Amino acid sequence: MLDESYNPWKKFQEKWLSRRSLIRGAAGAALGAGLLRPKFTYASDEDDSEDGACLNPKAIPGGVFALKPFGIFVHHNPLNPAAPLANISDPSQITDFDGFVGLTHIRGGGTGTDTMTGARSQLAFQADMGFSKGKFIGVDGRVHKATFAFV
Amino acid sequence: MYTGPVGSAALTQQIHDYNVHVDRNDVFWMIGVEHDAVEVDFESGRASLNVRDLDVYDDHDLANSLTQGLGIPTPPIPGVFPVRAKVSFDVEWGGILGTAQIENNSQNFKGNFLSTGATIVWSAEQEGFRFQSDSPADPKANLISVLGREKNGVFFT
Repeated sequence: MLDESYNPWKKFQEKWLSRRSLIRGAAGAALGAGLLRPKFTYASDEDDSEDGACLNPKAIPGGVFALKPFGIFVHHNPLNPAAPLANISDPSQITDFDGFVGLTHIRGGGTGTDTMTGARSQLAFQADMGFSKGKFIGVDGRVHKATFAFV
Repeated sequence: MYTGPVGSAALTQQIHDYNVHVDRNDVFWMIGVEHDAVEVDFESGRASLNVRDLDVYDDHDLANSLTQGLGIPTPPIPGVFPVRAKVSFDVEWGGILGTAQIENNSQNFKGNFLSTGATIVWSAEQEGFRFQSDSPADPKANLISVLGREKNGVFFT
């Protein structure tokens, strides 16, 4: 008999969220949040925030569910080459933002090298990259000016 | 980076996935850089992003990046712990292909947007591996690129 309450994707999400919290918790205990990723630290000369204050922008509320059917929500709207420019979703990853944004979706090739053996191989890549440059209201409620790379 | 065809349909062939991870406020793959890393001449449809030796993570593949190292059951992609890497890149936007003025009341953003050409030359380095993309970059490799001068959120109103 099927257990109608069983949902493998829900279980997956619960596991993912649990793992996510675990990683964050462990990082905080070991080395601080810097273990997970660098901090936003490049303030503009025109930035009115305090010296040394970290620039913590806020995510856009929208986005997409990636890796269907696993339903992992990301606050990002990937460019769709088949969609007209006039129909794009917000290309910014940062909300309460006023400035320039750029996104790109490029494929190409290159050479990978195993630095232990010197063996080389031809590899293909897809680069989804971009930037945001302008002012935004951070999590501290203050206006900041900064430049971000989308990597 | 893939050993075969590129794209989400070929997840099992992906062997490197470089990004800066999602931050504690759920901002997706964004990292602060020096102001002069980005130059924009919006009227002429040109912009550049130039960064050297940026600290990133190699999550191996998109599935592990999005699941923070759990992998997925279908297609079977085992969990992989991220490793540290450095990337350098020069992205150039240029050549206006289309324009649009957008005011999107459901997503609370508005602005002027350009569809442009784009090229990228980039490299990666980590323990045991390095990568250098083909140079000069192939302009035909651009699938879609956009520049925008926009306001969203509280600046939308």
